[in-house]
Amino acid sequence: MPYALCFLLFVIGLYCAVVKKNMVKIVVGIMVMEYAVNLFLIMLGYRTGGEAPIIDKSHIDPETAQVAASFISSAVDPLPQALVLTAIVISLGSLALMISICIRTYGEYGTFDITEIRRLRG
Amino acid sequence: MRGMTVIVKTIASWVKVLIFVFGIYIILFGHLTPGGGFAGGVILASSYVLLMLAFGREFVQENLPSAAASRLDCLGAFLFAMIATLGLAFGGSFFVNYLYQKYLPGEPLHLVSAGTIPLSNIAIGLKVGASLFLVIFTLSVFCKDLRCKEPEADSEIGTSAGEKE
Repeated sequence: MPYALCFLLFVIGLYCAVVKKNMVKIVVGIMVMEYAVNLFLIMLGYRTGGEAPIIDKSHIDPETAQVAASFISSAVDPLPQALVLTAIVISLGSLALMISICIRTYGEYGTFDITEIRRLRG
Repeated sequence: MRGMTVIVKTIASWVKVLIFVFGIYIILFGHLTPGGGFAGGVILASSYVLLMLAFGREFVQENLPSAAASRLDCLGAFLFAMIATLGLAFGGSFFVNYLYQKYLPGEPLHLVSAGTIPLSNIAIGLKVGASLFLVIFTLSVFCKDLRCKEPEADSEIGTSAGEKE
């Protein structure tokens, strides 16, 4: 069920990016799609009753000076979280690029409507 | 953008130091606690964004010119690449943690315990902080550009909206 809701969020973003004619709304739709994918990856790594994968002093076994086995068996997989963090950074960079393109286009044409922007003016 | 009222300016001039120090803490302790180079760099950039909102763009431009921010950006990327290449030189393979393996083993859960990872965090923090500051600064220059119809921000597009890691 959560995966279906995640897919629904992706479809909402796709609808917004395909149907809307305002450039800023298209950007918002693309970002909603990206966050739906990020949410999906995070949910893949979900674990019921899991622990945050952060090692501190209470998790170290005093006898062997190694990380306790109970922590390893109950911690959440950190790989999807690191992947999503990187994806968020890249989406931030692409968002800045898209927004600057929108601002530039508005400065050239005076409108955000993509149906009004027909002629290329340099 | 002439800045905001006296109340906002006073509070911002106190809070900016706290935000900056918190960003440095997040970067330096990135290998022990949640956080790291990226999160700390965002906090560093956000302290400058607070200054930009409270005092106006010109104040920030005097404080941290965009050319200096661009140099810091490049310096961060260069340091990160250099740390990785030193791993190739000293440890035999790219990105190997030669400091931890050979010179500075350290105890677990102490500040000096992860070799080259804090150094990489510092480099990434520089890179992310400077480039995120440049992104927001350039967008703010764009806004002024639209109002006055003076195209002058062309040279800064490439430095800010380019590559991020």
